[in-house]
Amino acid sequence: MEVLGPSDGAAPDVDAILGEVRERIRRKRESGVYGPEVDAALRLPLPGGRPLFVEELGDPLPALRSAIDERVEYDPRSRRPLVGPFVTFARRTVIGLVRWWLAAVLERQERIERLVFRALIDLRERPNPGFDERLRRLETEWSRYRRDTVAADLHSVYFQARFGGDEPVIRAQSERFLESFRGRKRVLDVGSGRGTFLELMRENGIGAYGVDVDERMVSEARSRGLEVFAGDALAHLRALDDRTIDGLYARHLAEHILPGELVALLREGRRVLAPGSPVVFLTPNPRTLTVGAHTFWLDPGHVRPIPPDLFRFYLEVEGYEAVELVTFAPSEERRLDENVDGPMRENVRYLNEVLFGDRDYAVIGRTPFAVRA
Amino acid sequence: MTVPKAWRFGGPPTAVHQFHPVLSPADAMSSHVFALRARLREWGYESNAYAVEAKAGAPEVLPYRRLFRTLRPTDLLLLHFSIGHEVFDQLAKLPARKALVYHNVTPPEFFTGLNDHAAVHARLGLRQLAGLVQNVDLAIGVSEFDTNDLREIGFPNTATVPILVDWSVYDAAPDESVLASMSSRRPRILFVGRISPNKRQDDLIRMLAYYRACIDPNAQLYLVGSYRDQPQYHARLIALRDSLDLGSAVFMTGSVTTAALVAYYRRASVFCSLSEHEGFGIPLLEAMYLKLPVVAYDAAAVGETLDGGGLLLPRKDLAEAAETCALVAEDAQVRERMVASGQRRVGAFATDAVARRTRTELGL
Repeated sequence: MEVLGPSDGAAPDVDAILGEVRERIRRKRESGVYGPEVDAALRLPLPGGRPLFVEELGDPLPALRSAIDERVEYDPRSRRPLVGPFVTFARRTVIGLVRWWLAAVLERQERIERLVFRALIDLRERPNPGFDERLRRLETEWSRYRRDTVAADLHSVYFQARFGGDEPVIRAQSERFLESFRGRKRVLDVGSGRGTFLELMRENGIGAYGVDVDERMVSEARSRGLEVFAGDALAHLRALDDRTIDGLYARHLAEHILPGELVALLREGRRVLAPGSPVVFLTPNPRTLTVGAHTFWLDPGHVRPIPPDLFRFYLEVEGYEAVELVTFAPSEERRLDENVDGPMRENVRYLNEVLFGDRDYAVIGRTPFAVRA
Repeated sequence: MTVPKAWRFGGPPTAVHQFHPVLSPADAMSSHVFALRARLREWGYESNAYAVEAKAGAPEVLPYRRLFRTLRPTDLLLLHFSIGHEVFDQLAKLPARKALVYHNVTPPEFFTGLNDHAAVHARLGLRQLAGLVQNVDLAIGVSEFDTNDLREIGFPNTATVPILVDWSVYDAAPDESVLASMSSRRPRILFVGRISPNKRQDDLIRMLAYYRACIDPNAQLYLVGSYRDQPQYHARLIALRDSLDLGSAVFMTGSVTTAALVAYYRRASVFCSLSEHEGFGIPLLEAMYLKLPVVAYDAAAVGETLDGGGLLLPRKDLAEAAETCALVAEDAQVRERMVASGQRRVGAFATDAVARRTRTELGL
């Protein structure tokens, strides 16, 4: 069995064994062998009295409530031979004599316990004005900060009208990846926008659906008869079961989210994608200076540009295979005239490339075919 | 770190005596005391074992009161400490050299609400321990875990010396009737230790419910150990066993002879501990010595005692514990390697080596 590791006489590999153990449990959960009855057995409290005190300490408030109401039992009878009845008699006498003194002490103790219990409950449940106010202020400030960072209030139809992408251009870009998605049943377009990519998929008989945060975009896409859900991309991926989609496409999404969110999205993607599914991410190319230094920042919703090498690294680290960078034709506008002679020609060509090179790039890859153990 | 260096004033001690409140013929604590006494006598020291209560069958135990008359200032008294007792306060004042041998005190929280008597003594033990700081010359922990406690409490001179186990005892022939009662082939999970809430035998019973439902309906659980000290917990374990309908699958043997103990180790498939507090954990070593693979939840000194000799469970998950036991029980290769690493580990506790170390640390 492979959980053994190399047979060099070393101790068994605990991590490998626990990995195998957890896999077995998962399979039994799935098949229903490890069902609710077994769960109930594993959680059955120790019968015949209160739970063990060490367990009560884990959730003290309910335990405290029942402990306060518990009666104290004491059996003064002695079972010793011969002297037993005398001991019993002596104990009963002493108890009788100190009864009222004990009652007074216990009464005070009882009062203290109830007060402490009430105080604890109050501390937990009663609103704390100063603290709540600070918390509310922090939450407001934080959400305002998040909104302001991306100028969320500006995201409007006016903005889309002035700076939004040109649909034929988007379509031409998407067509580059048509072959990768050919024959797929359930491709997800995250940040699907007006649905240009989804329409392309529909025309080619590829099953696809989209997710977008912008309600207006969602309703426009739906009006074209496309399947689009409103919501956050990462939250949507997290809600999906393992291996339920077989392709992932995201155009101009990565630059709108934090690096950590992008990594989380890639990680979730690995989980929800079936083995061998293609992924395509398109994003502005900061290597082209007019993009990186200028047009990228035309959208206040852009968080940070992602250099191609970094994006490729993200995919590789997250376990995608056959990761490649794909570039597009450079834009033809405002190019410097390359019809010069001599060494200047090379310089101008280089300058053209750096200044007016391709505006977008794509990083593509796929999930591994075989699931690694 | 230690005071001895041949005990600076007046050379090594003239006699080495030991005290523990209760000494009985079978438990691990007492066996340690008797094994050490035999060694001390071998080295030429006068050595006796004293107790407040000597259970029937404990070999030549003297009443502790005699110490007040006979102990000389140059004698060494080893105070074995595992639970509080009024007598420790008196013994602490004796004009002699004193060394504390700390076997750890089970935290009182385990007994609260279940056994008030034990809880009171555990609490007393923790208080007394702090009081002993001023009164002993040397404090020995039987594991690093225990020695750390001693340092935290404030003992200035500490050392770690493991428990002295006379392994030859376990080479005895196993009890035939026990062997015969366990002759059929089926998974048997064994745990050895007093029935006590800190050892969480209740979790073992719940784990067996999983084992029988999800792995093998023929599996059995053997809980070997005395239940006399914890009648309430024992009664509730039986109630738990019955409400899980495991009456015919869980065996609580009570205390047993060494021959029977060896038989249980020999016939079991795996030793499983879900104990939440152990100051040392001799049964873990016994299992390794008798070639039984050990699966144990990592709590208190358990990890240190196992030290790679068995499988350590990092978290208390009963389903995981059961599956781990099953994997070990069914896979001959894993088993073989666990037995081998167990044997290697138990080698570190060879009687002679531990005895030599004891001798050095005590400056004898």
